[in-house]
Amino acid sequence: MMRDVPVDALQAALATEHAAVWVYGLAGAFLPDELVGQLRQAAGAHQARRDATERTLIDAGAQPVPAEPGYLMPEPVTDAASALRLLIIAETDTAAAWRSVLERSPAEPIQRTAALDALTQAAVRATRWRAVAGITPLTVPFPGTP
Amino acid sequence: MPGPHHSRRRLLGAGAALLVAGPTVLAGCAEPAPVAPEEPDPLEQPARRAESDSVLAQAVAQIAAEITSQAPGQTQPALVTAATALAADRMAHASTLRTELRRARPVTVPSNTAPSAPPTLAPPLAVADLPSARAALLQAVQAAQEEAAGLVMTLPSYRAALLASVAACCASHAAVLP
Repeated sequence: MMRDVPVDALQAALATEHAAVWVYGLAGAFLPDELVGQLRQAAGAHQARRDATERTLIDAGAQPVPAEPGYLMPEPVTDAASALRLLIIAETDTAAAWRSVLERSPAEPIQRTAALDALTQAAVRATRWRAVAGITPLTVPFPGTP
Repeated sequence: MPGPHHSRRRLLGAGAALLVAGPTVLAGCAEPAPVAPEEPDPLEQPARRAESDSVLAQAVAQIAAEITSQAPGQTQPALVTAATALAADRMAHASTLRTELRRARPVTVPSNTAPSAPPTLAPPLAVADLPSARAALLQAVQAAQEEAAGLVMTLPSYRAALLASVAACCASHAAVLP
């Protein structure tokens, strides 16, 4: 079924979801056991979002972008602190990508609901990781903007 | 929740509403406006809510700091920090929403709808306890998130994205409110 969907913005969002899934896999190795629950929940959310976005793109007649074999890290991950910083970057990137989907979306409620949800959840997860890492301020006024 | 908490929470909410009553009434938009020359801009309501939330959060920060200082054994500076951060973020929302309002209708938005400075805070509240203060804040950010999220569905895309960020920010505060 063809729908009026912002394919390019969705592809960019999918790419950040692929990256987030990868990052969570890497970061998990460096985080203490008590964070495993929070980590798994977040990773699962990204996987679900990735799958749903792929379905949306396929429904729109587009070929979903694949995951990269690996991703360039802004800094080497060597301990819990650097792993947490990487998670925050991944969430910040997904928030920005989903906000872009909203900026390009026609007023189609399904698209907007998904993008708003994804942006909100990414912002909340980034905030929770900042709290764990002791990074302040915990929040940003406009998640998804530079 | 037991009864006393509820009534104190309402008291706190009422106090904060009083704080912003000045500019709101001056703007003449508090009543249902029998004669509206044109539809109010849909950003007017979230802008006003952001302003009043910011004032509420400042008041809560002040109250929480006072309560904490009166009872040295009871340490909860976390609520002071959280309320202060919320006040700053909601003020940023108000400012950006006002900018967009002025951009959209440069002539019809009178300057006095945008208070240039927040009202000075002489804490007017019979001091509430920390749980009530926290509950008032949580209620405010949740309501703000809901309002912004609703508008995302109907507004043009630029504004939808702006309101989505507001909703995401409010959700973030709700998630980590101590």
